[in-house]
Amino acid sequence: MIHILIVDDDPKLNKTVCIYLNDCGFETTGVLDAQAAYEALNSRPYDLIVSDIMMPGVDGFAFARSVRQLDKHIPILFMSAKDDLPSKQKGFQLGIDDYMVKPVELAELEMRVRALLRRANIEAERKLTVGNLVLDADGMTAEIDGEEVPVSKREFNILYKLLSYPKKTFTRAQLMDEFWDADTDASLRAVDVYITKLRDKCSACDGFEIKTVRGLGYKAVLL
Amino acid sequence: MNKRTKGESLFPMWLFFVYLGVLLLMSGIHSGLLLGAGQWGWGGLLRTLSPILYWAAVAGGLTVFTRYRIRITYEEPMLRLADATRKVAKGDFSVYLAPIHTPDKTDYLDQMFLDFNQMVEELGSIETLKTDFFSDVSHEFKSPLAVISGSADLLQKSPALTDRDRKEVDSIRDATRRLADLIQNMLKLNKLEKQTIRPAPSVFDVCAQVCSCAVQFEDQWEKKNLDFEADLEDSADVYADPGLTELVWNNLLSNAIKFTPPGGAITLTQKTMDHWVEVSVRDTGCGMTDETMRHIFDKFYQGDTSHATQGNGLGLALVKRILELSGGEITVESQPGQGSVFTVRLPRPEGQEAQT
Repeated sequence: MIHILIVDDDPKLNKTVCIYLNDCGFETTGVLDAQAAYEALNSRPYDLIVSDIMMPGVDGFAFARSVRQLDKHIPILFMSAKDDLPSKQKGFQLGIDDYMVKPVELAELEMRVRALLRRANIEAERKLTVGNLVLDADGMTAEIDGEEVPVSKREFNILYKLLSYPKKTFTRAQLMDEFWDADTDASLRAVDVYITKLRDKCSACDGFEIKTVRGLGYKAVLL
Repeated sequence: MNKRTKGESLFPMWLFFVYLGVLLLMSGIHSGLLLGAGQWGWGGLLRTLSPILYWAAVAGGLTVFTRYRIRITYEEPMLRLADATRKVAKGDFSVYLAPIHTPDKTDYLDQMFLDFNQMVEELGSIETLKTDFFSDVSHEFKSPLAVISGSADLLQKSPALTDRDRKEVDSIRDATRRLADLIQNMLKLNKLEKQTIRPAPSVFDVCAQVCSCAVQFEDQWEKKNLDFEADLEDSADVYADPGLTELVWNNLLSNAIKFTPPGGAITLTQKTMDHWVEVSVRDTGCGMTDETMRHIFDKFYQGDTSHATQGNGLGLALVKRILELSGGEITVESQPGQGSVFTVRLPRPEGQEAQT
């Protein structure tokens, strides 16, 4: 059973979110402020935290900061009425994993919670399995049907990224920023070249496909 | 506060007595010169020229001196004050004007500067209060909306609902979402108009930003089966506030998707020009009449009332305001039934250091 902690000072919203996520098969605990959240976190382990920002007493930023100091890995999702860039930036700098602006669509919240848990899982296991492909993050190796496929470090990283966020499109600039040095002279076409190579090497994979979003970027789609 | 102790006037009475004295002295010398010319037996030409040259020198000297006095006492401080007031008008409350003289020699200009500094400081603190107020208002409005929308989502999942009930719940969810968007846009526009949001321009790659904004709409264009085409350069730097331009792309793209019927096409293009980077969003939607085009940037104007349920009529007003504040511009071309093209121009960095 996956345990989720909901921290929001609005009792009604808190309850609604808890019921919805319970219906989705999670076990939730709702608390109204950071103090109660600390107590809940001390009493048992949680797999994910959903937190508001503007709360009486300790606010979400301070809460996230202190949680991060104790646990580097637990996914934190901010759910706030604040929609300005500085708040989002501040949140992500503190190490939160996702940010949603209120009012949130609960179906979307569920989707994002599942995606966060999935990524946390991948991170914990250091291994990603999609169909007949297994990626091992420690060894940087890829295996298809148990046979190792030679991939370069960069090819591995791009594939690992795309498969960690299935259905999410990454723009070529985003991939370039992440996997090439900042002072590279390579043009965005270099990304296209790597994707072509990856498609070639993964032609025997049955679990996913790398799709082109014309003029923008690439995404992995699970089959 | 009527502190007229020191330096009552920057051009005090004694200065004019000095002028009078100097002029009298000069005319005395002039008479002396005339007498002297007679005694020394100067020739006709010299005799005519000498007073002319003499007075030209005197007039010139006095003019230069007067000009110099005006410049150092009035013009320079006034120019500084003008610069400072312009900065404050643009919303920079960190301005500080250093007094011209040391505290024991303050005159009324110094006093004005000190009062000005105090005024700006006060304005700054009011401004902070106002910003906090808006953020609180937004929070207060959104909290109940979050509850309504959450409860509606929950209700939607209930197995006991009939199809008719489900439709009603859908209406509640839609309306809540629209209201939330409306509040968001209204507050943003308000902040931009009151200049509580001050653009913080920096040099950034607009192509990368437009692409990341566009991919967020992927689900929407796929759902409507729209053909989305992007034709952009690898990168193009602009000098603007990235937090604000993001709103521009999101608004234009969401409009394009909203107003294009299923099966239509949206084209995103970007070009670099001499002083501008140009980004256009072209759709094959319903288009607009000239009359509509004249008003689309007005607040709460809805071109086509049949689409009124989908928007709040503030998006383009917000876009326009952002571009005004960013030194950019937006133009629109459209014909009814032929779709529309929105073209945004942003200034290229000129002299600003690229930030990494």
